[in-house]
Amino acid sequence: MASETTASVPPGWQGNPSSWPQRLPIIGVALVGFAIATYLALYQYGVVDTVWEPFFGDGSENVLDSKLSRVLPVSDATLGAAGYLADAVTGLLFGVARWRTQPWIVIVFGFAVGPLGLTSILLVIAQPVLYDSFCTLCMTSAAISLAMIPAAVDEVLASLQHLRRVQRRGGSLWAAFWGRS
Amino acid sequence: MPAQVVLTIGGLWLMAAPAVLGYGDAAAVSDRSAGPVMAAIAFLSIFTITRGLRWLNLPVGLWLVVAPWLLGFPADATVSSTVVGVAALALAWVGRVDQSRYGGGWRTLFHPDRLPSEE
Repeated sequence: MASETTASVPPGWQGNPSSWPQRLPIIGVALVGFAIATYLALYQYGVVDTVWEPFFGDGSENVLDSKLSRVLPVSDATLGAAGYLADAVTGLLFGVARWRTQPWIVIVFGFAVGPLGLTSILLVIAQPVLYDSFCTLCMTSAAISLAMIPAAVDEVLASLQHLRRVQRRGGSLWAAFWGRS
Repeated sequence: MPAQVVLTIGGLWLMAAPAVLGYGDAAAVSDRSAGPVMAAIAFLSIFTITRGLRWLNLPVGLWLVVAPWLLGFPADATVSSTVVGVAALALAWVGRVDQSRYGGGWRTLFHPDRLPSEE
């Protein structure tokens, strides 16, 4: 196991971004985000009657019942929950050399983490600007999704460097992307 | 990166400022838009792997300095926006990007000849 981990350090790196000590915290944080977003979605669909809001009065209810939260076929918190679940699942799949052996899943993981964080920031802007309301758990969720970005993108960088290296030596980018080189 | 921590706090302050100082309208919209953007960019810039994003706070700082004159903020909002904006212009660029422990970092993707070779 130890030698396998050593062999999985990308060229020129000090550590392996696909090792479990790197990935498990991200998965744990994603599951916390999933729990929060699921709770907010349950409020939006009337499964729970009230939403926990310690600071901003009826701010959370204003935000969660707003038109903006329903511009898509499913509510925004539902999409957030799906995003966090995608983060956790794509963070969990495959072993400690996956930046090299399965670049596709690492890149999907990056696409799940990055846009989720950006969308959260846009919602944090929209809520007070459009509805003059703040929502504690929405902002908590935004902070969580933002905090996941620096923890996750190093693995994406290792995969992209690997693909670039394959390309430089004349190998097939397509095969390397799917881990078949 | 203390400079980026300061700017993260500055962005969070802008989010709260309209409520704390008691103003609305254009000044509140400006603060509540620029605040989260600035806090997010500065927060990501604390970490070596995403520090390259720190330059994005220069246009945010520029906006915060000119917005009070452009849109006509009340006095306390003008002071708040200008102080945080000047701080962003002064601090956004602070911090060295040494990504050598990440195999040379993001720039190697544009300069593949600088990629460390496989052993």
